[in-house]
Amino acid sequence: MMPGQNPIDDSRQNSVAIRLEDVSKRFRLGTIGEHQRLTEAISSRIKSLFKPQTPASNAQPKDFWALKNISFDIQRSEVVGIIGHNGAGKSTLLKILSRIVTPSSGRVGVQGRIGSLLEVGTGFHPELTGRENIFLNGAILGMKRTEIRNRFDKIVEFAEIGPFLDTPVKRYSSGMTVRLGFSVAAHMEPDVLIIDEVLSVGDQAFQNRCMGKATELGNQGRAILVVSHNLAAISNICSRAILLEQGTIALDASPKETIRKYLQSMRYDAGRIQWEPEQAPASQEVRLHAVTVRNAKNPSSANQVDIDQPIVIELDYEVLVQGAINTVQIHLKDENGVFVFSSANAPSMSLQTDETFGKPLDVARYRTECTVPANFLNDSRYILSVFLGPQIGKPTIQCDSVLAFSVLDTGAMRKEFLGSWYGPVIRPRLDWSSRPIDSY
Amino acid sequence: MNRATSAEAPKEQDLRFYGQPDPLGLRQLKEAWDSRELLLSFFQRDLLIRYRQVFVGVLWVLIQPLLGTLIFLLLFYFMGAQGTGSGSTTAFWKDASVILLGMLLWQLVNNSLRDATGSLVNYRHVITKIYFPRMLLPLSSLLCALFDLAVGGVLLIPLAAWFGQGLHWSTSWVGLLAVVWLALFCFGAILWLSSLNAQYRDVGYVLPFLMQIGMFLSPVVYGFDRIESSLSYFWQVVYCTNPVASCIGLARWGLLGSPLPPILGLVLAALLTLSLVISSLVWFQRSDQWMADRI
Repeated sequence: MMPGQNPIDDSRQNSVAIRLEDVSKRFRLGTIGEHQRLTEAISSRIKSLFKPQTPASNAQPKDFWALKNISFDIQRSEVVGIIGHNGAGKSTLLKILSRIVTPSSGRVGVQGRIGSLLEVGTGFHPELTGRENIFLNGAILGMKRTEIRNRFDKIVEFAEIGPFLDTPVKRYSSGMTVRLGFSVAAHMEPDVLIIDEVLSVGDQAFQNRCMGKATELGNQGRAILVVSHNLAAISNICSRAILLEQGTIALDASPKETIRKYLQSMRYDAGRIQWEPEQAPASQEVRLHAVTVRNAKNPSSANQVDIDQPIVIELDYEVLVQGAINTVQIHLKDENGVFVFSSANAPSMSLQTDETFGKPLDVARYRTECTVPANFLNDSRYILSVFLGPQIGKPTIQCDSVLAFSVLDTGAMRKEFLGSWYGPVIRPRLDWSSRPIDSY
Repeated sequence: MNRATSAEAPKEQDLRFYGQPDPLGLRQLKEAWDSRELLLSFFQRDLLIRYRQVFVGVLWVLIQPLLGTLIFLLLFYFMGAQGTGSGSTTAFWKDASVILLGMLLWQLVNNSLRDATGSLVNYRHVITKIYFPRMLLPLSSLLCALFDLAVGGVLLIPLAAWFGQGLHWSTSWVGLLAVVWLALFCFGAILWLSSLNAQYRDVGYVLPFLMQIGMFLSPVVYGFDRIESSLSYFWQVVYCTNPVASCIGLARWGLLGSPLPPILGLVLAALLTLSLVISSLVWFQRSDQWMADRI
């Protein structure tokens, strides 16, 4: 709609760029991809013709509403962040907005050209050179040839791939590929830009430039929608944020308010989460009962733990099948989604051997404890995910972001330094010593 | 949400709503036409990739039908059963041009169906990440096959002009018409096949088998005079309802002066092609809505 580099003219500044009217998306669990083969589809048709009342065909497919009755407008020059837990429907929403997925009901209207960046370098072909891929990727993103030609030098400059322009992309480093992909997309200059987590790739310097570019596009009067787990980025670049919870809009307000509500909504704030047997995360062999975080000295759970105390993470679970093999793995992330560490009860990752690891277990209840040393984490909030399964890395039970806890600075580590420790994700107490090594 | 109500209501015509009702699927043709530059990019990519790291390059397009023609010619002559003519040198070259034309047209059907069927599935990582008229992917395969045909056509003209009795220039437009018709048939077929393959991968497995049968059900390596001499009129008509058979027969009649297939068969084949194209447009537009969910 608007070729050229200029900001969008003022007359359209305050008009609606994108509108959602009562949009819902339903997935039928168990039917998607069930009939991967035509013969299966036909035979199930035939079977249901002959015996329509079999219990199997009677079982209604379970509906899962990824989005329910979402309506909102986004104005030109708004930068809107979308946040929510995993599975809240963020990705589905973006896919509906960018027309990849058709909503089950409701409709989406846009004004002007829409550009979506759900992945960097979509459609890059490894055999083609950087130059050829710029044209191909640009065309897929919806640019005209003349537009690409006009912006070609800028794209190359931003991506910093000058000398490799005529090298096939398969010989690029992953960093170069990402830079080139973002650069093409950033120069597409759409009226509405949709970005999904792509700002979290590449090195820090490049990320900063990406953020700068996104802000710049917003200032030019384009509407921008960003999905990110990086709350700091959302509060920096967005003028408005939408919190999604289980497919509905929980809050649509300023980024500050929305982020506060999002953090409050983490139901797992008690330091312990416990499930009723029928709701518990379970596989065929193991059922999780509870996850607890506590101070090492204190047997009761706590959502706040002291920085100078070891922190104990407890998992209670029940083995349901005689001889089942189980492993336990945890992931710890900070509030911004930065991955702090991953550990498991495997011998290579444990100070002492966990007797249950890799052994057939009797039917019983078990408790696995993991101790995080004192004076290791920073005074910040951390989010715990747990994984159980017969093999590490292939969990059959996955609980993402199951618990959050805060580490409190009791002052034990700050007798000398009183400034803020904000920044680093960990703050270990290390072995320091100095001595003279030379004498004259 | 409260912003939606407080905002100045935009005029409806400013907003472009996705997925307007479109029973005949004609809007998708317009969208495809609007993004013809992307189609060219896909076409260019397909050509570039095909000949990257290939030593002989574009010559492959010529080698394939030439070798095919040679093999069948030799096969027929060694078996003592002449392909289409009576055994003299002129007849030999006439046979060669008849078979070559058949091979080239068959190559159009074979290559476009083969490449287009997997085109959506092979590109699913893009289809699930960005929207563009998905019809462009199978269409690009068709363009590639048409490109091959054009290159191959350059080969046929000298062959027919020097050795055979020459091209029938006065009716050559019929040959062109037959090619357009065949391309339309391929268009309908690839829309069906590519979108069906997106959901049911068996289509890709069954296709090579069907193509082999199709090659012998169409007058690719034999002339239509064979059919004329061995089948009754009724079966000739049945044989010609196969649009590929009709197109090849018509093209040979127009370009080389071979016998004309029965008119009734041609009409039936044309009707079949028309319904294939229309149904494929309707179907493709519907399948486009669940494409990203199920591919």
